Amino acid sequence: MNALTMKNGAVVLGGRTIWKDATFSLESGSITAILGPNGAGKSTLLNIILGLVPLAEGSLEVLGETPRRGNRRVGYMAQTRQADTVATMTGRDYVGLGFDGPRFGWGRDKAKREVVRQALALTGTTSFADQPLHSLSGGQRQRIALAHTTVFKPQLLLLDEPLAALDLAAQAEIVDLINLIRDTTGAAVVVVAHDLNPLAPIIDQVLWIARRQVRSGTVEEVVNEDVLSQLYGHPIEIVVTPRGRRVIVGLEEEFAHPHPHGHDHSHEGVHEHFAEVYEEETE
Amino acid sequence: MSLRELLATSFVQHAFYAVTAVALAAGAVGYFVVLRRQAFAAHAIGHVGFAGAAGAVLLGLSPIFGLLVLCLGAGLLIGFAGAELDDRDAVVGVTLTAALGLGVLFISLYSGYANATYSILFGQILGVTWSDVGLVAALSMGVLLVVSLTYRPLLFVSVDAQSAASRGLSTRAMSLLFMSLLGVTTVVAIQVVGVLLVFSLLVAPAAAAEVLTSRPLRTMFLAMGFALASAWLGLFFGVWIGGPVSFWITALASLAYLAARTTDATRTRRARRVVA
Repeated sequence: MNALTMKNGAVVLGGRTIWKDATFSLESGSITAILGPNGAGKSTLLNIILGLVPLAEGSLEVLGETPRRGNRRVGYMAQTRQADTVATMTGRDYVGLGFDGPRFGWGRDKAKREVVRQALALTGTTSFADQPLHSLSGGQRQRIALAHTTVFKPQLLLLDEPLAALDLAAQAEIVDLINLIRDTTGAAVVVVAHDLNPLAPIIDQVLWIARRQVRSGTVEEVVNEDVLSQLYGHPIEIVVTPRGRRVIVGLEEEFAHPHPHGHDHSHEGVHEHFAEVYEEETE
Repeated sequence: MSLRELLATSFVQHAFYAVTAVALAAGAVGYFVVLRRQAFAAHAIGHVGFAGAAGAVLLGLSPIFGLLVLCLGAGLLIGFAGAELDDRDAVVGVTLTAALGLGVLFISLYSGYANATYSILFGQILGVTWSDVGLVAALSMGVLLVVSLTYRPLLFVSVDAQSAASRGLSTRAMSLLFMSLLGVTTVVAIQVVGVLLVFSLLVAPAAAAEVLTSRPLRTMFLAMGFALASAWLGLFFGVWIGGPVSFWITALASLAYLAARTTDATRTRRARRVVA
């Protein structure tokens, strides 16, 4: 079953076409990474799915209905949240806002306590849920934010750069948690990312947005030097580590197009070093 | 007159009801001012109100009507134009300057300005009329009622605007709502402490409360408590010892903040020693 179906979608903001002819679908229980250079319209795509920005052309169906604001079956996690720097809010308070934050008026919902408890348990955040958010580590905050977003067990989960500004260990932890949430809730998960490497083990599909186009494919189809170089408008090389992991590496312009009269090693960078190791191993 | 007789006089009684209502409203709204880091907006609205009050006095009206019109107007303008964080400071700054300039003009046009100006700038809660006190108390209660009904969405928008928008809340509408609450609260706080000392009721109690607790609702109630304690004691000292009530309230609110910071620093040091 499809959690989302887009047909010939086009979006225009302030008279400018951001992208057009977008046709793709997301399956329930799948994880999709959205890649693309800055300003390509990744966040705009999320806003369209959330019903905050209308499509200029084409059609979009989200969980069997037209996109609408405030749909509880769609969960959204922003990249930056003011809450993270607030001293007077614990993780539990913030997760609670995911439950009844949008509700006006007096009175409390008795179900809240139990629903919040379950969200904290699912995300493994119970042990630090009662500490102020600003005292937590980056990875802990992301886990709390995932609990906030999954309070209603949404069937479509939109995560905007959930791995940004995390160290490698925390990135791996969040990737595992995203996978766990998908497995337990059966949600279709969309992850906007800059770096495909940490996500590669769990993603089923890649949407790439560049040059006013949205295209979809499997990881194998996208993790390909020609496609990635075109996507970023910058030379990209794929490196296979001794254990078989494929690492995407950006190249210096000069290395990608060497001078005919020999290569200057005076500004040898990490990227070049990586690429050279790769060559040795394959030869 | 003895202290007991002084406290029983009608003007002290009226002032007591007024400061009680004002302190509760200012403490509650002040929590959101500190949470949303909009202290500058609160400051600016007070100064805009100065122009309104001066204009009303010039036209022979009660200053409070001028205050209401301009403070609400400025609040809505800042809320509307400055909903995006990037240009908020510029919008607030320009609004503030334009209004202060107008205030100066109005005062220069009004011949008997000295007394009126003084009470607008520094507050004169013991001098306001009974009908003004009634209006101030009613407005404060109105603010408290609206805050109690919109507490959760206000908190949500303040700590995670994007997620709140995705859940169907309008960031702009909530910003306008908050700035109107702030506008009305500034008007009533000005009656007690004046334009220049409006921070003592709007910011200091909430800032002190924020240092001492980590739960949202608890912080808000603590801010209301600090504001109320400063207002009651300030009124009492003003009547008992003398000196302007606004001075006493400001001094007490600042002391509360200082005490909170000191307590927090001591606690942190002790916690570190335990860890070590």
